Amino acid sequence: MVLTGRAGVLAGLGVLFVALAMPRWAGVGLVVAVVLLVCLVDLLLAGSPRRLQLSREGDTAVRLGQPAVVTLLVANPGRRVKGLLRDAWPPSAGVQDPPHKLDLPNGERRRLTTHLVPTRRGDRHADRVTVRSIGPLGFAGRQGSHKVPWTVRALPPFNSRKHLPSRLARLRELDGRTALMVRGQGTEFDSLRDYVPGDDVRSIDWRATARRNTVVLRTWRPERDRQVAIVIDSGRMSAGRVGDAPRLDHAMDAALLLAALATRAGDRVSLLACDSEVRADVRRPAPQDVLPSFVNALANVDAQLVQTDFRVVVSQVLERLGQRSLVVLLTGLDPAVIEESLLPVIGPLLRRHVVVLASVADPRLTEMESTRSDMIEIYGAASAARTRLDRERVTAVLTRAGATVVDENPDQIAPALADTYLSLKKAGRL
Amino acid sequence: MSTAVGRSGTEAWRALRVPLLATGVVVLGVLVLLIAGAARTSGPFSPDSAEPAGAKALAALLKNHGVDVMGTEDLQTAVDSAAGKTLLVAPGGSLSRSDWQDIARAGWSHIVLIRPSAKALEVVAPGVLDASSTLPKDSRSPDCDLPAAVKAGTATVSGVSYSAPDSAIACYGDGINHTVIRLETGGQIVDVVGSTRTFTNAELADDGNAALALNLIGTHPELVWYLPQYETDGYDDGDKADGPPLVPPDVRYIAWALAFAAFVVAIWRGRRLGPVVPEPLPVIVHAAETTEGRARLYRRSRARDRAAAALRESALGKLHKAHGIPRRADPTAVVSTVAARTGRDPVLLYELLYGQPPADDSDLMFLSNQLDVLTLEVRHP
Repeated sequence: MVLTGRAGVLAGLGVLFVALAMPRWAGVGLVVAVVLLVCLVDLLLAGSPRRLQLSREGDTAVRLGQPAVVTLLVANPGRRVKGLLRDAWPPSAGVQDPPHKLDLPNGERRRLTTHLVPTRRGDRHADRVTVRSIGPLGFAGRQGSHKVPWTVRALPPFNSRKHLPSRLARLRELDGRTALMVRGQGTEFDSLRDYVPGDDVRSIDWRATARRNTVVLRTWRPERDRQVAIVIDSGRMSAGRVGDAPRLDHAMDAALLLAALATRAGDRVSLLACDSEVRADVRRPAPQDVLPSFVNALANVDAQLVQTDFRVVVSQVLERLGQRSLVVLLTGLDPAVIEESLLPVIGPLLRRHVVVLASVADPRLTEMESTRSDMIEIYGAASAARTRLDRERVTAVLTRAGATVVDENPDQIAPALADTYLSLKKAGRL
Repeated sequence: MSTAVGRSGTEAWRALRVPLLATGVVVLGVLVLLIAGAARTSGPFSPDSAEPAGAKALAALLKNHGVDVMGTEDLQTAVDSAAGKTLLVAPGGSLSRSDWQDIARAGWSHIVLIRPSAKALEVVAPGVLDASSTLPKDSRSPDCDLPAAVKAGTATVSGVSYSAPDSAIACYGDGINHTVIRLETGGQIVDVVGSTRTFTNAELADDGNAALALNLIGTHPELVWYLPQYETDGYDDGDKADGPPLVPPDVRYIAWALAFAAFVVAIWRGRRLGPVVPEPLPVIVHAAETTEGRARLYRRSRARDRAAAALRESALGKLHKAHGIPRRADPTAVVSTVAARTGRDPVLLYELLYGQPPADDSDLMFLSNQLDVLTLEVRHP
């Protein structure tokens, strides 16, 4: 049961009536009886919210920060329902609309639109739909709720896709489409074509030339169909917030850019998100499915406050990869964790594969190290310097062990990782 | 497709009827017990009140002596014709002049007024005047011819005293004013008692108080014990009641109407459009948290040596990079290279880069500034 402002006003007028006309028990009783009677009549005449039939349609996935539209179909088989309808979602689903006004005569249907702008990654499940049906007099009404399940998945935003065109251009350069590649490590035979003046004479295929009237040239292209395994650490080291998002989100961004680039380069990409157990696992999808399957798998991965078990990570990766591959490990560069958990177990991975360790650096540390105006800030600068030195030390240890380390600020980590991939490809180390 | 949440009206009724019935039975039982066992009157000088200011002891005493005591708060009982009975009017309340006239005309054989108002004295006991002086609490002898007082002897009295006309018998006073007065007007005996505490539970056992009470009040086999209330008619006849009541009588109905309106508004504003939607929130930890924590530890423990070592190592790292000095070069080689590039004094430079840890905070600040300047020089030569 609900009452409206009108019932409040009626009761207020009742106070005036008692004060001015009937300052007796009878007056008070009369006011109470009138208000209760009017509300009861209204309540009995209001349409039933429980008998409404609701269903949904609309978006099921949206990139984080983009608007999604979910429509609610309301059908009324019973008495006229007039009042409010609230389509309740969790706060981070970002509902933009106030409660809908509803006026639904018998036998009609309405389509109500809810606009969502999710503020966090992951699945957002619709809560209940609450309908408040006010009676014809407008004094009281009935209220009831329905469960109309729907899920909108907020996908990782992939903000770094703006870097993709420039990296694809560099890939094409490597690919020999804009410039000629020379035979060497990391390239494979592509095709034979006619010699044009200016081509490198070292690439002339003399045997083929002998069979024809023209001089024939061999062209080379980077090796294709290499395997790239992207491993995202979803443990506690990825939970730390850098800027306005956790490390994990920056790592996802970098992983998506690398996946897009490597797919274009003809490599097979697989994805693993892992802390003490596997959180997301995509094994070598078809090239056109890479990005959709990755964003879907990553949408519900959140940083867990547990220490990542690198033994699980290494054994999972080794099990997946047959040939020599590129393993990109996106994690934090915490010296204690790297030295105690990662270094003892990473040996087999380094021996069989090319390992890149990418970590999101915190610009706050650079800021702390450079501001030194009072004693508090000087101790802060010393502490930040110590952190940086530790990171440099562990970077040096990893580099000596044979891994490539990429340690960049959040806005630079994705392009830097893509560049590392391209330079590895160019150097033929894949 | 949707499914409705919560219970329908029929289901709610089915689920609630047994608890509702049980609650109803309990409430009814409590009400019956209250009505059956509760005191009919309450407050100071009530025959049912066992508090120190009550007069249950006196009522019990009177009953033991064969007097039928009937406590009432209803004015009508005091006004109904009642020959051969005693009326006791307790202090308090606010009766109008016409009410007192009705009481006086009702035909009581005996009226006992306990600390009456000036208006009551004027109507019921003409000639008796409030002396506007109080007697201090003391054991006093009657000093009069009133048989009841003479039999009782000394009594503990205190409170208002009155000046009596010559026709009256005045007892228990200081010689001029008295606190127990007996008048006889037209076949009706009127007693005025100014000492309210003498007959209360607290003081009834003192001196001859109980005897005085029995002799004074228990003269007839039936006693109506009237506790005056605030009667609204006090204003209607244009008569000023004894001391204006603090709230006008109408306010109570307006207050009830207001309370009902507030209840309606509370229901109107209090009902939410559906429950609050809960959501598990992610943990927010700033990545630099540990570094900031270590800075606070440095500061709290005044770890100048560690802070200086970190700053020096950081500066050295930058110098190594800028001058292409091998990472494992010995200090003298580093100092000579940097001194040659920047034109600084090698001794001071050695002190700056490899010297003793700073002794106090200002030394650390100085060291930090010097290192800053040095690395900036290297970056922009």
